[in-house]
Amino acid sequence: MSIIEVKHLYKEFKIPKRQEGMSGALRSLFHRQYLTKPAVNDISFSIDCGEIVGYIGPNGAGKSTTIKMLTGILVPSSGYIRVNGLIPYKERQRNARQIGVVFGQRSQLWWDLPTIESFELLKQVFQIPAERYRQNMARFRKILELDEFLHTPVRQLSLGQRMRADIAAALLHDPKIIFLDEPTIGLDVVAKERMRSFIREINRERGVTVILTTHDMSDIEKLCQRMILIDKGQVMYDGELAKIKETFGKTRILIVDLEEEIVDFSLDGVEVVKQEGNRRWLKFNRDTITASQLISRISENYNVRDISIQDPEIEVLIRNIYENNLPSEQAFTNKAKP
Amino acid sequence: MIKTYRMYWEFTRKSFQRSAAYRVDSWSRVLGNVMSLGIWGCIWFALYYGKGSVENISFHSMLSYILISMALQGIHSAGTPLWEIQRRVRTGDIAIELLRPYDYPLRMLFTDLGSMSFYFITAIFPLYTVIFIFFQPNIPLSASQWGLFILSAALGYLIRYSLELTFGLFTFWLVETGGVEDIFYFSISLFSGSVVPLWFFPDWLASIASLLPFQGIYFVPNAIFVGELSGQAILPALLNQVIWLVICYGLLRFVWAKASQKIVVQGG
Amino acid sequence: MLKSCLRGLKFYFYMVGVSIKTQLQYRYAFVMNILGWAMTYAGTAITMWVMLYSFQTIRGWMFWELLFLFGLSVLSWSICIIFFFHFRNMDEYIVEGTFDRFLVRPIHPFLHVVALKFDVGAFGQLLFSIVALIIAYAQLGLNWQLSQWLIFLGAVIGGTLIQGGMLVLISGVAFWTTRSERLFWTLMWPAKNLMNYPLTIFPRVIQLLVTFVLPFAFVNFLPALLLLDKTKESFAPYWGFFTLPVGVIFFALCFKFWTIGLNHYKSAGS
Repeated sequence: MSIIEVKHLYKEFKIPKRQEGMSGALRSLFHRQYLTKPAVNDISFSIDCGEIVGYIGPNGAGKSTTIKMLTGILVPSSGYIRVNGLIPYKERQRNARQIGVVFGQRSQLWWDLPTIESFELLKQVFQIPAERYRQNMARFRKILELDEFLHTPVRQLSLGQRMRADIAAALLHDPKIIFLDEPTIGLDVVAKERMRSFIREINRERGVTVILTTHDMSDIEKLCQRMILIDKGQVMYDGELAKIKETFGKTRILIVDLEEEIVDFSLDGVEVVKQEGNRRWLKFNRDTITASQLISRISENYNVRDISIQDPEIEVLIRNIYENNLPSEQAFTNKAKP
Repeated sequence: MIKTYRMYWEFTRKSFQRSAAYRVDSWSRVLGNVMSLGIWGCIWFALYYGKGSVENISFHSMLSYILISMALQGIHSAGTPLWEIQRRVRTGDIAIELLRPYDYPLRMLFTDLGSMSFYFITAIFPLYTVIFIFFQPNIPLSASQWGLFILSAALGYLIRYSLELTFGLFTFWLVETGGVEDIFYFSISLFSGSVVPLWFFPDWLASIASLLPFQGIYFVPNAIFVGELSGQAILPALLNQVIWLVICYGLLRFVWAKASQKIVVQGG
Repeated sequence: MLKSCLRGLKFYFYMVGVSIKTQLQYRYAFVMNILGWAMTYAGTAITMWVMLYSFQTIRGWMFWELLFLFGLSVLSWSICIIFFFHFRNMDEYIVEGTFDRFLVRPIHPFLHVVALKFDVGAFGQLLFSIVALIIAYAQLGLNWQLSQWLIFLGAVIGGTLIQGGMLVLISGVAFWTTRSERLFWTLMWPAKNLMNYPLTIFPRVIQLLVTFVLPFAFVNFLPALLLLDKTKESFAPYWGFFTLPVGVIFFALCFKFWTIGLNHYKSAGS
């Protein structure tokens, strides 16, 4: 059952055009030209109850704009949006009760208040029943280890602490859907891992639908069954993570440990991307040469001690997608279902 | 030397171009200026209503005074405002400026020159040309009077610039300048003769005003412009401005040196 | 409906408490702020005094009457500041994304903005205006009847609503232009200063404008005519009775404008 449905969503922004030079500066004082830039250009997708979806794309692709329309902050230029049956921008306050929002770069909490008071204020704002509030707080305090800073004003929290407080604040009223905009930005490895396991947990235990934007591909790899990749306001890929690897991961890395030091190691159709002592990282394309062909060719010419194959990291994959700038129709057979 | 000035000039050019991007600001500033002018024009008209000349100043001279005063204030308003300087100090943005190979007070001056000349060309000049043609106020009649007025107005600008930047830099030591700031603003607005010329002050207040640097900002250039200050009397007035400028600029350099030291030692 | 109103009120009072606590945290700044505001207004009063030193009267108004007129507008302005002054910072709330978070909460964003600050610094203006009014009252030898005290009360409440409505109006503009602070200082501030002087000194068109379009005249001038018994002015004396209803209507219209602006909200960044 789909909880979020978006059809042919558009959002345009008007941007003033800069005119060049001194005379341009004078001219634009009286007459300014505007460019209409579509930030979201015909996006459609639907998300089922209980999914964790990674919503990714480069800067300015339209991620935040989409999230802001889903949360009711922005009014779309045109298109169809339903979030659990509500039109977010029309029924903003009702929508607010069923969603939780975390903007990684901006806290939702009250800057000057001790953390616990922010929570109590939210309890009032969202009318959370006392019992429910008590249970939730007890749980979040344990899992997110809030106790160490509950009485510290939000402005004095570290980034990791603030993010934990923010995510607890977003979940306090038991939302059905939670939007996480860059929830791991600026966190260290340990804090990131903790955040991820918490997201997994609330998804599993409470069936909360999670929509996540991130720049960190390992967030996606570790959390999401599905990802929606957008660029220039359009959906480039919508589907399983494994599939994108299979479809687009044509290059592989072969790691070879050689017996002896060889200075001019080279093979046709293979690129040496890294070397360290006698170890070489070789990049090859699965279409031109298979792994077994490559291995046999190497062992014909050199003495090999050990050999292993590395899957391409998804980040490299995504980068390839952008660098090649493939037209979406041809490259992505797995485009969003209509 | 020439190279250095070319660098500062570049700031002027850049800020001139950038000014166009803030056209809402520009228009709202024009509107605000015209409104102030209107209000003060009405006030002076009402004050003179039914009276001939007061303290030997005719209504026509007073109208001319308020017109040129508002034009000058309009030009001044395009510079970096005091609160912006204070913001830069509070946020530590100013510390970054120390790392750059230029003199901050000078760079600011040249930057403001750009935004002010943009504002002058696009707003103040055309606007006040029309207003002047309409009201026919007293204007300087000779080239030398024009020259002296422009010189005096420039000195006035530099005095205000030095005072304001100095005051802005005090934010390094005082976290909250609330009350002091308002006394500062009030002193500038009253003692500079921005809206009430020193002629109409009670004697004791006028003598206080004559001992302060503020009269050099608007009162002296305005009085030269409308011809109330002329002949031999101009020279001591200009000299007074120059002396105050030297003192104020010296103070600015001193406070800036202390402030830079503080940034270097404490990191802002 | 009633329940959500109660919840809103409860939220508002809680936030007011928080805001006061925060402002009192920085005691030095708090005192300086009050002092600063009292000083600014005292400065304007001194300028008026200097001006009238050589001229004695302005269109039949002498200094103490002028001080009364000024004091009355500052009194309602200071109450307005307590609740609405931060509306001029709307542009900042939008640019910094503060406003976004109000939209994902089940309380009307307007209430959220109102609850952002309860400006105790306005005590400075309040202090000034009360002192100025008392001095003027004594110097003019006034002796009001109950009906005049009621007009005074209506002027204060209505004046607060009119000026508050103006601030709401300006903050609403920020939804389109993301500029409001500038607009306040360059437009509303000079327009407000217009009220410091008797309206009769301004051209007829301005008099009509501030009576029927942006009803500043109701804030102090029209009630002051009744309160100072200046019936010889070109305005009919009964205008001053209507400050309160005018305030209510004007504020409601400004609020409507604000909610229209809300639908044009563009959010920060992208």
